[in-house]
Amino acid sequence: MKKRTKSSSPHKKHMAKKILIIEDEEIVLGLLQKKLSQEGYEVSVARDGEEGLKKMREIKPDIVLLDIIMPKMSGFEVMEEMQKDSGLKKIPVIVVSNSGQPVEIDKARELGAKDWLIKTEFDPQEVINKVKKQLKNL
Amino acid sequence: MKKKPIRKVAKKIDGTKRQTIIAGPSEISQNREEELAEIDRIAKMLVRRDFELSTLRERRELELKELKKRTEELEESKIALTSILEDIEDSRRALMNMLEDAEDGRKKVEEEKNKTATIIKNLADGLLVFDKGNKLSLVNSQAEIFFQMKTEEVMGKSLSQLAILPIFKPLVELLLKETAGIFRRELHLKENLILEISTIPLTTEKEKLGKLVILHDITREKIVEKMKTEFVSLAAHQLRTPLSAIKWTLRILLDGDLGEITSEQRDFLEKTYQSNERMISLINDLLDVTRIEEGRYLSKLTLVNIEEVINLVVNSYKDEIKRRKIKFEFKKPEEKMPQIMVDVEKMGLVVQNLLDNAVHYTRPGGEVIISLNRGAKDIEFSIKDTGTGIPEEQQERIFTKFFRGTNAIKMEAEGSGLGLFIAKNIIDAHNGKIWFESKQGEGTTFYFNIPIYEKEEFTEFLTKF
Repeated sequence: MKKRTKSSSPHKKHMAKKILIIEDEEIVLGLLQKKLSQEGYEVSVARDGEEGLKKMREIKPDIVLLDIIMPKMSGFEVMEEMQKDSGLKKIPVIVVSNSGQPVEIDKARELGAKDWLIKTEFDPQEVINKVKKQLKNL
Repeated sequence: MKKKPIRKVAKKIDGTKRQTIIAGPSEISQNREEELAEIDRIAKMLVRRDFELSTLRERRELELKELKKRTEELEESKIALTSILEDIEDSRRALMNMLEDAEDGRKKVEEEKNKTATIIKNLADGLLVFDKGNKLSLVNSQAEIFFQMKTEEVMGKSLSQLAILPIFKPLVELLLKETAGIFRRELHLKENLILEISTIPLTTEKEKLGKLVILHDITREKIVEKMKTEFVSLAAHQLRTPLSAIKWTLRILLDGDLGEITSEQRDFLEKTYQSNERMISLINDLLDVTRIEEGRYLSKLTLVNIEEVINLVVNSYKDEIKRRKIKFEFKKPEEKMPQIMVDVEKMGLVVQNLLDNAVHYTRPGGEVIISLNRGAKDIEFSIKDTGTGIPEEQQERIFTKFFRGTNAIKMEAEGSGLGLFIAKNIIDAHNGKIWFESKQGEGTTFYFNIPIYEKEEFTEFLTKF
């Protein structure tokens, strides 16, 4: 209960910044959604790359949390599409992936990703911190 | 009686007519005289003749004797000759037998030769034999298949002549580079054909006869190995997804985001979280191993101060060291260390693996010391502990994948046996060396060195990655 009241305050401060989570793994998605909502963000979710791009065009989020390995369209493909679309190009992307090969990270950077998180190496709280950091830069 | 035969004899001897002898009475006595003389003369003559005859007979007998003797001698010679002939016949037979034996022997040798040739021809491995002058002197069928050529096309050609043929080029380069001999070297001959090359010098006690090159097809092994690596990689990646879901769920529970929890609940959740962390680290080790095996391990090389890399790792272990009541020291060098070219993340992993072992296998009250020294051409790192040590008989296996010392397993049930394998591979990839000194019950010191490159060496080093 305490936490909830705590997290309700940034809600106003952020003026409800919009976050889109594109992630096919239900538990991770649910946890991120919960955690970020508690922090007062306006959270939307998509369960594959295609749906993600569609929602991105609809809601114009302030930031995107993006998984890489997903059905229909991978995270890399999503970023490629975003690069082609001037409306989406500037939306910061934080990759949240299971893997973290330097080649993959480099590729994501080239495609405009701002940060890369390996799920097994980070806690949800650290994801929140990264989101905050990125939003501050806007 | 007497007269008649004499007359007859006389008549016979001189052929005088009977009328002449029967002349008148005076004439008779005279004739008688003459007759007697004649008789005497004849008698004498007869005696002489008789003598001559006996002489003749004697001579004849002598001659006969002589003849007999000669005949005997001849007979003997004949016998001797016959025996010689027999001997010759025997010899001839013996010679014929010998010739037959020799023919048999030759046939056997021929058979053996054919057998050997058939074996060589049908060997699953390819064989090439180069003679003293490095000219190709034998090619078996498998080698023909590997190189897609006919024996006649390449027989007798020298290495440099062979190098002109594109398919031979990689092999020739290898043979020219490794004159001392090759043992199980991989050679990617063409698409879908990987050979393992070994050479054997052909020598008798006295002289060098040339070189045998064995070409063993390991394409299948390589495919299986790749599949295995891919499988482990895939499995590890697949495992990561649920593991991170578990990790995050536990974290959120522990953080109280889903409501307050009791201290007992916290305790269990905390332990589960730690278990899960160990699982994650095992999976990470497995993935590192698959990357080593796929030969895509080192990534970004940067020029760094190794001291900073060590500090980062040491800091992350401070609490653990304190909790385990271990004395720890990092002896930094007095002089300034030159920067070295490393993959920072991987080098951190080496230090972490070595420090992790030192801390885990040293009992409370023990000591762990890290030192850094500058050598003539390298930087040497060492980490000394007063821990359990590595049993002598297990020391040579210490860098083997999945190997763990028996005493280490007793002290710490957890552990993948991959840490030192990974560390060795990382150090090797940096052109460094890793080694250790250890005595069971007294402690272990691990060392590694990383070369300091001059500018031009450095460019050369870089091209290898």
